Amino acid sequence: MDFLLNISPICTAFLTVVIPLLAFLYQAIVGKKDQSGLVGTLAIIFSFVLSLLTFLDVWNAMPLSSEITWFKIGNTTFTVGILLNNLSSLMLLLVSTIAVPVHIYSKSYMHGDAGIHRYWMYLSLFCFAMLGLVIMNNLLLMYVFWELVGFASYLLIGFWYTKDAAVQANKKAFLVNRIGDLGFLIGIAIVYSQFGTLNLVTLFGNDGLIANTSVENGLWISPHNSMDAIWLTVTGISFFLGAMAKSAQFPLHVWLPDAMEGPTSVSSLIHAATMVAAGVFLMSTLFPLFNDTVLLIIAIIGTTTATIAAYFALAQYDIKKILAFSTISQLGYMMVGIGIGTWDAAMFHLLTHAFFKCLLFLCAGAVIHEMAHLKAHSKQDFDPQDLRNMGGLRHYMPQTFILMTIASLALAGFPLTSGYLSKDSIIISAFEWASAKGPMFQIVPITLIIVSIMTAFYIGRLLFKAFFSELRIKSLLGSSVDLNESPKLMLWPMYFLGICCVFPLFSFNPISYHDAWVMDGLLVQYPYETNHTAHLVIPMILTVGALSVWVLAWRWYAQGQYPLHANSLANRISLNQGYLNIFNEKIIVNSVLNLSKLSYWIDRHIVDGFIHIFINFIQQIALLSHWLDKNIVDGLVNTFGKIALLLGNFARSTQNGKLQTYLYSVFLLVIVGLVYLLLR
Amino acid sequence: MITLTHFLVVSAFIFCIGLYAVLAKKNAIMILVGIELMINAAILNFVAFGKYDKINYGGQIFALFAIVLAAAAVAVGLAIILNVYRYYKTVNPDQIRELKD
Repeated sequence: MDFLLNISPICTAFLTVVIPLLAFLYQAIVGKKDQSGLVGTLAIIFSFVLSLLTFLDVWNAMPLSSEITWFKIGNTTFTVGILLNNLSSLMLLLVSTIAVPVHIYSKSYMHGDAGIHRYWMYLSLFCFAMLGLVIMNNLLLMYVFWELVGFASYLLIGFWYTKDAAVQANKKAFLVNRIGDLGFLIGIAIVYSQFGTLNLVTLFGNDGLIANTSVENGLWISPHNSMDAIWLTVTGISFFLGAMAKSAQFPLHVWLPDAMEGPTSVSSLIHAATMVAAGVFLMSTLFPLFNDTVLLIIAIIGTTTATIAAYFALAQYDIKKILAFSTISQLGYMMVGIGIGTWDAAMFHLLTHAFFKCLLFLCAGAVIHEMAHLKAHSKQDFDPQDLRNMGGLRHYMPQTFILMTIASLALAGFPLTSGYLSKDSIIISAFEWASAKGPMFQIVPITLIIVSIMTAFYIGRLLFKAFFSELRIKSLLGSSVDLNESPKLMLWPMYFLGICCVFPLFSFNPISYHDAWVMDGLLVQYPYETNHTAHLVIPMILTVGALSVWVLAWRWYAQGQYPLHANSLANRISLNQGYLNIFNEKIIVNSVLNLSKLSYWIDRHIVDGFIHIFINFIQQIALLSHWLDKNIVDGLVNTFGKIALLLGNFARSTQNGKLQTYLYSVFLLVIVGLVYLLLR
Repeated sequence: MITLTHFLVVSAFIFCIGLYAVLAKKNAIMILVGIELMINAAILNFVAFGKYDKINYGGQIFALFAIVLAAAAVAVGLAIILNVYRYYKTVNPDQIRELKD
């Protein structure tokens, strides 16, 4: 044990990242022979242990970093290295902690799938990419892992690649993420030209380059270079664009609901800790780089995202789509957290959200698993993910029901749950921020409060529709309803996550987020005053609001007293996700398609036309020279040949062995001789 | 008045007929006949030019010798033709091509 404790955190962090990579390579080499996924699961458990060791060493200690030279271009040396501070070690621990239950759960959930060996391979790659992303000390390397995360998610979303919808979804995810990656890349380029380095320690460390940078007289001045102040804003927006695509911010959120085509266990991983967390993590890492304009844009986009996604979640029927929109909405909260300068609150919400969202997805997965099982057994045709087919499930799956309720309470932000702490931290900070800024800015906290109540409503709707009243497809099934509790291998990880959804893990004081260890560790100095009244009033508003909408949802969905018209305009807009996909299809996709058709036409007719004319010209020249060669050059040679042939034939014809021919020749010679004599 | 020229013209005609026979006939006997005609044309010339030698009559005497020699030659020629016929079963000169390599 001493041996283990003496290993440097750098080493353990390195191993944390490398072990899933080894598992990925092993699975890639072994292929179909290993379907158990044991190696991948063990690897992630080792990673978890090592990340825990790293975390314990690094948390609230001096930041550590280590690097080696990667390559040199001119005088610039690029390094590859690891940066361990509170933020990265926390993320490292979070990613591996979430990945462990998902791996264990997958063993049961994905059991018997034909492509399961690929599943384990991709899952290990995904974990490797995300773990690598959080500890890299260099923006360029972060970008590499950022791309790897995107690629692995592409593979996992399209895991059931024979399904057309899955293929479309992973294509969409990949393309939308490309837009964000472009922003990230532009940001890196600007940072490099301004600071001459991409090393995070040099940039953001105490007394680093960013700390010595100032904006004076419309110039953005760093020790290395200076440029127009507008570029500071452009940099911030570029990086934010990257985070918008990865963390599904409006209007680049469109890929996330479609990404539900992947296996549910993958969705839980994507939504909890790996993919979407990357954007928030990037924003927190780069926080000192953002000026007020960028922060305001982030806050506005975050608020918009939270509102719109919560609205879209209200009328969805697909159980996974509701959760997807709730993720987008919660990511909006985190972005608001960044935008108002409290990135510690954003990280805290990311942390708590990871656990309860992962649990929500695993519970939904269990429900879908059982519904699909029921569908296969009863040989009836119904959608196992559709809420309209469920109902009364608490009688059949009591443990799943309890766990789902805990997670839903956490998402809705009820007291004593982790969600209460983190969501309040963002809303209260937003209120304090708005008080300091001015009355117009009050829109942000007020919207967030409304969104929080909407969140409580839609998750209540999901819970009551799925688990209360009677099973709606009972008439289809006849007498026997073959619905059971999930297997133990699926329940244990869910129990673990359920424990992580309540307050003691994060703060011993269940009502004040200021005591949470995460907030203490990250410790951001707020530029505005603490408002004690807000600390009392806002949680009360939230709790009362959430409780009342749960009662409403209970009356509407559990007791069946639904007062609204199901096909009303508001419901339709929400169900169709604001027609955003259709808008994108019509405006963006069609214009791109038309542009490509136009370029095809230009290429085909103008560029190719020129080439064709040229080709014809060359062909004619070739034909002419062919004719010349054939008739003039060859003709001359052939004529000589023919003359020689004729002469030869003539000479030959005299030598035919006939006496009289010889006599002819003699006679001819005599005649020639006579003529010669006569003419002489 | 019959002059020397008339003799020479007749002699040339006969020579030409003989030459034609030698070159064109497809029968060895006829070729031999052609040869005789050519010899006789020459003999006619001897006789015709004999008017310039009225002392020794060299022309006439030479003609007599030539006639005798021609008779002998015809005898030899016929003998050869007979042998050729025995050997090749034909007297058509076109079908006898042993001269060819």
